[in-house]
Amino acid sequence: MTKQLITGNEAIALGALRARVKVVTGYPGTPSSGALGSLMRLDLDDGRHVEWSTNEKVAAEIASGVAWAGQRAMCTMKMSGLNVASDALFSIAHSGVNGALVIYVADDPGAHAGMVEQDSRGYARMMDLPMLEPTTVAEAYELMPMAFDLSERCGSPVFVRSVTAIANSHAAVEVKEPLPPEEREPILERDITRYTKAGSAIAQAQHRQVIARLERAGEIAREMALNELRLGEQPGGVGVIASGVTVSYLDEGLEIATSLGCDRDKISLLKVRVTNPFPEEEVRALLSHCEGARTSGVVVLEELEPYLEDRVILEARRMGFERRIVGKRDGTFERVGEYTVQHVVRGVAEALGLVPAETSSPEGNSAEDIAAARPITVCAGCPHRGTYMAINQALRNLKLRKDDVMVTGDIGCTILGMNEPFETVWNEVAMGSSVSLAQGYVHSGLQTPVIATIGDSTFFHAGMPGLINAVQHRVPLTLIIMDNGWTAMTGMQTNPSTEAAFQVPGNRQVDLAELIPAMGVDHFFVIDPFEFEEATAVVEEALQLPGVKAILSRQECAIQAQRRGLKAGVVAVDTEACTLCKRCVTVTGCPAISLGEEGIVIDKSLCYGCGLCAQVCPFDAIEVQRGDG
Amino acid sequence: MSERAEIDSFDIYMVGVGGQGVLTIGDLIAEAALETGLPVNFYPTKGMAQRGGSVTVQVRLGRDVIGPQIPEHKADLVIAMERSEALKAVRYVRPGADFVLYGHVWEPTKVMLGKAPYPTLAQVADKVRRAEAELTYLDPQHLPRRSGAEVPANVYVLGAAVGLTSLGRVLDQEAVADVVTSRWKKYAAVNEAAFRAGLEAGGDEV
Repeated sequence: MTKQLITGNEAIALGALRARVKVVTGYPGTPSSGALGSLMRLDLDDGRHVEWSTNEKVAAEIASGVAWAGQRAMCTMKMSGLNVASDALFSIAHSGVNGALVIYVADDPGAHAGMVEQDSRGYARMMDLPMLEPTTVAEAYELMPMAFDLSERCGSPVFVRSVTAIANSHAAVEVKEPLPPEEREPILERDITRYTKAGSAIAQAQHRQVIARLERAGEIAREMALNELRLGEQPGGVGVIASGVTVSYLDEGLEIATSLGCDRDKISLLKVRVTNPFPEEEVRALLSHCEGARTSGVVVLEELEPYLEDRVILEARRMGFERRIVGKRDGTFERVGEYTVQHVVRGVAEALGLVPAETSSPEGNSAEDIAAARPITVCAGCPHRGTYMAINQALRNLKLRKDDVMVTGDIGCTILGMNEPFETVWNEVAMGSSVSLAQGYVHSGLQTPVIATIGDSTFFHAGMPGLINAVQHRVPLTLIIMDNGWTAMTGMQTNPSTEAAFQVPGNRQVDLAELIPAMGVDHFFVIDPFEFEEATAVVEEALQLPGVKAILSRQECAIQAQRRGLKAGVVAVDTEACTLCKRCVTVTGCPAISLGEEGIVIDKSLCYGCGLCAQVCPFDAIEVQRGDG
Repeated sequence: MSERAEIDSFDIYMVGVGGQGVLTIGDLIAEAALETGLPVNFYPTKGMAQRGGSVTVQVRLGRDVIGPQIPEHKADLVIAMERSEALKAVRYVRPGADFVLYGHVWEPTKVMLGKAPYPTLAQVADKVRRAEAELTYLDPQHLPRRSGAEVPANVYVLGAAVGLTSLGRVLDQEAVADVVTSRWKKYAAVNEAAFRAGLEAGGDEV
């Protein structure tokens, strides 16, 4: 046993190893990626299988098959991934499992990584699945064996949910040795009443069973004493119900509240780690203890949606509890963003009828007002830059206004073309949506060409059905797949398009250059985004052709290539020729270029040598020698 | 200022731009705390960009159970690696606490093209002082060179923070030096040189 500095995500992964997990599947997505990612780095050879699957639904189905066969499985995803997996998981929830199935989902209150700020606890309620929530990094590790045991004992998949602040925090955790998967013969059980959904009788019976399993999970969770209730010294004091990461702010918050005149010993605390099923008994005990005072209330601390609070209000109503319930429904807190210690202080102060200390910072606001905006852009050497430039130039050559041509966008690094200086991409919906959304614009009656842009991993994940639809319905559009060989934005995971040499040993590459033509597109092109003129000419040609056109824009992610010491070329500036016209900056927006006294300056440590700046320089002031990348 | 033995908690708020090694500073401090037996929570946030985006790191030392985020006005130390990003840390510094500013300028494209303003050093210093923080300014031009190349700025700034601020009373400087040298096998010497130079840094005039 050693004390290690690990992230919440690693704690989930190491906890699963301790819990004898046999198969782990997942799809990358911030803030969840570090969990499965850390297992990939371990090169496990103890009879376990770990994989980045094509999408979250695939991952969940594989893990379910494992659990149906009686083994222990985990699948990992971000909240948006749970939307994708949910179709399968509803069904699996109603069938239950034989082994263990733990679904790790990481939510992103504050939307640090973009996407919808959604609360996955809603899924646990809809699917009637138990959900455990660690309140710290160390707890994430300790909860995992309990999650697997709970899943096996109640025969149900179990959610473990964390949030960015826990998933990406590093803390010291006592990590025990991993335990190997148990030697179990796979179970083959033929039972259509359990494993199919054929017919009303089967479906309704399963509905009753899932409800019963959740009830059983509640009993087991109480046995495990996961929810912690500590009643105040005397009845009638303030009650605080906190869940997930908000629990970690209680100590500090109550210390500050004490300085406001709150007696800490009189506060009753309920720390909720099992958010589904609702901890009815504990909440009722807390409410009846807090009843009676004239001035106190109960505070509910939970980020995003008021799921617990609504149930607390319901229990209060059933019990005739008349004190104030401080939360989102009374307007004290927002349903948006992360909670901090200030929410604890504010909540307790409200419950006591005190005036909370001023938390806004006028000097902080005035300082931030003059900070430079820092829009995110593509890295120096990013091949996507060349694709956006080619699209923009092709439109100019065809005398089309950029504002008249719809270019749908997709999830991942490819969306960065929305920002300056490109402003190529218009929108972002969900994995794979660019291809189908584009068809909608075609059907809307637009007379201008419609372009869809997507990355390699996103195309495999959910873009393929959209393309098949376009082919079947003969929808004229141009799909540009920016294939950089990696799932880059989430931290460089492998995907089907990753070169064979970088795949997990034994895995193979699925070549998009073979796959896309086989899907029946009318015209197929491959371009090198670092060859500006050629790439532009191909985009221009494709936009004028009828039918479904697909362009595969291929160059490896520059960050990954540079990690292997590769450069696409070497670039040198001729300061005699450079007039400081800034065209290289305005067209490429490359972060490696800055303006010097006598000409532009290219930061050698950042530059990958893609040469795009040289190709747009009107004075031939930048020379490029092609390299090995 | 309390002495080392009396410190029960110490919060460090760090800002910079992705690629400057801000996350690494946080990681090194967290590792040194672990070696020292000091409880730590280290929470980096970097948004979507691989490089070039705003980066925030929050390190909270001394409490066994602690929420990842530092409340406003409560940071015992701010380390800012970039002039404009420093402004985003002003709301977090505790009055009287140290604010270390490494004055590197990383201009967004719009600023470079003259289409957007960028704060002057005097403006940033003024905002820091209005928050009643003790400003320690490190001029990037004084970043030492070794074998013709600049030493890693992040490790230099870490050294300066240990040498010049109350962080030096929370963490033993040799414990931090050990973590710095054992982190990079191939580049141990240059990183140690950067750290030691930082320890000796005196801070510059604004």
